[in-house]
Amino acid sequence: MSIPKIVGIEQEYAIKIKGDENLSFFDASCTLVNAYARRLGLRDPKVNMLWDYGHETPYQDIRGDLFGKNTGQQIVGEKENRLINAGLPNGARLYTDHAHPEYSTPECLSARDALACDKAGEIILREGLKLMRDILPFTSVTLYKNNTDQQGHSYGCHENYLMAAHAHEACLVSHPERALKTLIPFLVTRQIFAGSGKTGARNGENSGPPYQISQRADFMENLFGLETMYARPLINTRREHHADPKRFRRLHLILGDANMCEFAGLLKLGSTQLVLQMLEDDFIDCDLTLKNPIEANKQISGNLGCVVELADGRKLTAVQIQREFLAYAQKFQPTDPSSRVPDDDLILNSWSYVLDGLEQLKLSADMVIEDDPLLLSRRLDWVLKLWIMNRYREGQNVTWGHPLLTVLDLQYHNIDGQEGIFYRTEDQGFTERLLTKDEIARFAYAAPDNTRAWFRGKCLEKFPEEIYLVNWEVVGFDQGDIYRVVPLLNPLKGTRDQYQKIFDQSRNARELIALLESDSIEP
Amino acid sequence: MAEAQKFKQPTKKKPKKEDEGSTAPGELSSKKKKQLKVLDEFIEGVLQEAGEEFLDEFKQVEGQ
Repeated sequence: MSIPKIVGIEQEYAIKIKGDENLSFFDASCTLVNAYARRLGLRDPKVNMLWDYGHETPYQDIRGDLFGKNTGQQIVGEKENRLINAGLPNGARLYTDHAHPEYSTPECLSARDALACDKAGEIILREGLKLMRDILPFTSVTLYKNNTDQQGHSYGCHENYLMAAHAHEACLVSHPERALKTLIPFLVTRQIFAGSGKTGARNGENSGPPYQISQRADFMENLFGLETMYARPLINTRREHHADPKRFRRLHLILGDANMCEFAGLLKLGSTQLVLQMLEDDFIDCDLTLKNPIEANKQISGNLGCVVELADGRKLTAVQIQREFLAYAQKFQPTDPSSRVPDDDLILNSWSYVLDGLEQLKLSADMVIEDDPLLLSRRLDWVLKLWIMNRYREGQNVTWGHPLLTVLDLQYHNIDGQEGIFYRTEDQGFTERLLTKDEIARFAYAAPDNTRAWFRGKCLEKFPEEIYLVNWEVVGFDQGDIYRVVPLLNPLKGTRDQYQKIFDQSRNARELIALLESDSIEP
Repeated sequence: MAEAQKFKQPTKKKPKKEDEGSTAPGELSSKKKKQLKVLDEFIEGVLQEAGEEFLDEFKQVEGQ
């Protein structure tokens, strides 16, 4: 039986520094993280919170220890831990990942909330940049929400979806052919609405199409695997579920692009939620196994209209493959109606609308948009960016391959509201907005009400001085003579409805735990 | 809260050319023409300020 499809996004931001040659990306990122954490009071002398890496097992594979490295997690000392991590009262995590600032949204029940939380992450990073200016007044630091530096390097926008343990096991471990028949073809082809667009050649090489749909397709080399920085898989198989693994598993997708357009972001997350729920309920019985999924991923990115070959010899376009999934989704009712994907009607309508629009979208051989009757340029990043680039090409009389087009590509993703090309385009009314400003701003400070993120966020908001460690699945309190850990093993529990009253009655964490114990409940 | 808010449902009706979404040249309202001009000038300014050297300065270290 399917379960609610809790979703979260981990976004790595590209960073650019001007004015201080000695400032490393790592130091700049840590400065930002700590400036923001300080602003929230999380660096006060009495706050000694650590991010708990105890549940992170990046070298353990869900299929056994096939690719195991016995070194395990690098040891992170307490000082460094606090330098690079900030668990936030909105349930999110802001941290330095190698040399990038990274923002992981809290767990969300709906694609809409996840989208709003992802956008709230941009607000937080902008605030962090502003605070940095006081610390480093002569240094300019800029952040970009994209996935490639156009010089052969890529960084991720990872998605996490909650799956029922039995379905995850069946799809990815005991019968991976099920994923090959359904999930993989869906993921490979969803780039036609989820891609963010990219000018230039593959992997920084001087070959390939002048403009392609996906930022990440060129960097994907495997279907399943543990790696994230080379030999990248579409589905990362690390055994790190951040929940009770007997009941829940995490599907960790690393093939997706970072979206600036709200419409594209919502459709990416929402359609994936629906497909996963259909898989859990055994509703999809088609076989769309691609003959060569990794190659198909690249082919589609380079040419919207290309046909890809299926293992059974059929040849279909990405739109045709997506239509198969949409047709199933339109007929689907989850076994448990209470686990229905929120806003499913809107997601289905948007999905259908976009596929119609893509069928009617006419591109010339030189990638000029000749017709876009359903105005996908207002909704999909790759079409919007292409439209902007074509205006520039036409106005300045430049051809594909011109370096300034690559600069334009990168500046599209600048998250600065005044300097970023996407945001200026949005300000001028050329994009379709779905979220309200208030809705996004709320998630900069508050966690979603309807997942365990609410409990975590409330602990961080009310009792930061008493927390000694936090991660996705625990909150640990230092009560002087004893450490107490509250497990959050069920992502669906710990909601406002369940625990608001208890938090209202608790003046400190000791009282909170006493009340939790008296109710014989744990989140 | 979020659930209670309504999305604007996409319509399959072909948008009129005068609609705010239209970007077809020659059929734009004066307001849209002005907005396009502002956008074009902005982009030109961003690229001029950044210059081609921006690309060399942008090199990233890969994330996990």
